[in-house]
Amino acid sequence: MDHQIYILIVEDELEVMDAIVNDLAAFEDQFPIETANSSEEAKQVITSIYESEQEVGLILCDHILPGENGVELLIELSTLTHTQNSKKVLVTGQAGLEDTVKAVNQADLNHYISKPWTKEQLSDVVTEQLTDYVIEHKANLLPFMARLDGTRLSEAMRNRPLTDH
Amino acid sequence: MKLSSKQITGIVLGALGLCFPLFITLPGLSFAGHVGLGIFFLAAVFWMLEPVPIYATSMLVILLQVLLLSKEGLLFPETVADYTPTGYTAFIQTLASPIIILFLGGFVLADAAVKYNLDRNLTRILLKPFGSKPKYIMLGLMVVTGLLSAFMSNTATTAMMMTVIIPIIARIDANDPLRIGLILSIPFAANIGGIATPIGTPPNAVVIGALSAQGINIPFGEWMLLAAPFAVIALIICWLLLLGLFKAKATHIELDVSGTFNTSRNAIILYVVFATTVILWITEKSHGMKSAIVALLPVAALTVTGVMDKADIRKLPWEVLWLVAGGISLGISMQQTGLAEWIVTGINWSSFGAILMIVVFSGVVILMSNFLSNTVTATLVIPLAVSLASSGVAGEGFNLIIISLVIGVSASMAMMLPISTPPNAIAMSTGILESRHMTKAGFIIGLFALILVTLYALMYWPLIVN
Repeated sequence: MDHQIYILIVEDELEVMDAIVNDLAAFEDQFPIETANSSEEAKQVITSIYESEQEVGLILCDHILPGENGVELLIELSTLTHTQNSKKVLVTGQAGLEDTVKAVNQADLNHYISKPWTKEQLSDVVTEQLTDYVIEHKANLLPFMARLDGTRLSEAMRNRPLTDH
Repeated sequence: MKLSSKQITGIVLGALGLCFPLFITLPGLSFAGHVGLGIFFLAAVFWMLEPVPIYATSMLVILLQVLLLSKEGLLFPETVADYTPTGYTAFIQTLASPIIILFLGGFVLADAAVKYNLDRNLTRILLKPFGSKPKYIMLGLMVVTGLLSAFMSNTATTAMMMTVIIPIIARIDANDPLRIGLILSIPFAANIGGIATPIGTPPNAVVIGALSAQGINIPFGEWMLLAAPFAVIALIICWLLLLGLFKAKATHIELDVSGTFNTSRNAIILYVVFATTVILWITEKSHGMKSAIVALLPVAALTVTGVMDKADIRKLPWEVLWLVAGGISLGISMQQTGLAEWIVTGINWSSFGAILMIVVFSGVVILMSNFLSNTVTATLVIPLAVSLASSGVAGEGFNLIIISLVIGVSASMAMMLPISTPPNAIAMSTGILESRHMTKAGFIIGLFALILVTLYALMYWPLIVN
């Protein structure tokens, strides 16, 4: 498959980054994972993914980052054409109410995961968000049935004109 | 858009096929026949290698026929010695032929059923009596799938049933072969169920359309009388086979059959229109109103009452109607140019006995349709049967209706590969089974189908047709 949907993780603490990548290992065969340690790097990664004609389906972002913080980054990304459709998840323990509200209102935040999370919780959220993403943006849902939420994908297919030829 | 090498091969071969009359002259075939054969080559290559979508090929076929074979076209402005060109309307009016209108009625009903959740709610109700034993649950799933796919597209039925079955399978132990049996039971039952009514699946339309071009009208009820008993037996064989191949370890399955019917005004109108239409279709003999006329009832009633709005009408699978119309149109020109007759006279058919003829047609169609679209397979093979009948070269005992049924039914019995039918592709995509499971079960079903088709064609269908 030449066209791939990437998962982007933005996190400055190495141990946390490793933990997230490990927890999401099961997705990697179909959804390659890219990582960035800062907002600046995240934007570079996004540009390079976009330039190789791939797309970013999901962004998991920490709030406290060097330089621009996570909420500001997500707000910025929600205005860019490459990433406005990407599902955006804040993974953090330190975002205050005000920042979180800002993220929901201005960055179309899709989910908020508070630290610490469990592997199951994280993988459920990723499944749900990627399922939403492919239902909204992909014509052919079959390649995602096995890895994502097959029941919801089947339901989405049922509501599209399906034929026998 | 980058073209794959398979697409390029398809386009080159198709173009060569279309142009062949410029280079080669076949003895005994008129020039119009050559042109017809060129169009047939192009269509066959395009349908097999799919450089463009199969419905697009059908659209192209209609255009080429109008341009090259009609009275208003480029090549035959006047009648020539061996070809009387027909008006272009003969080709374009296939789009409004009775079988197309019948399908349109079926589409509107099926889409409205999905919109108001009738399909899912019926599934819940119908599954209730099947209890919680795995083997009866599988039977229940297959019966419901078969029943729904007789009126809806096999693919839409499969997608809906996947929403029912995936949660069930998730609760079964990962090493239990029952999971494989269950996931296969849905596409197989959907493929088989499509056989039961004229609107069940497009190959039926191809067959009925071809017969009607020969002046043979198959009423809705008669098709059901011919095909539904076949579908029922095939479904039971398939069930027993899946039980045998994938022996369940679980002894009990929880099934969530709760759910309530939509009782809004629109949903009630749909239930009434659906029931009335189906009853009128089945009882055509008693009131004499043709099924295509009855099909206008849901089309008009559901739009007049606003049950289906503009967006719903736009969502109908219009390309299927083009696909079938293109096939019917191709059949017409093969007849009129003398091409079909020329093809069949090359073979000494009378040396084929009745049984051999049935086995060959069924076997070839099952084989082809494992690799090609079922509709395309039926479209490519049916003109052969029609010309065998009209040219009279077939031996005694050749019955066009029976051979047409053999072709139509066999086209739906190919289910060895994920690419054989869209329902198979959906089941395969779940990742619950491996393709060898599908191939093994599908191969055995194909063999049984060959035997079953032969038995029906020799013993049961003649009782109804004659």
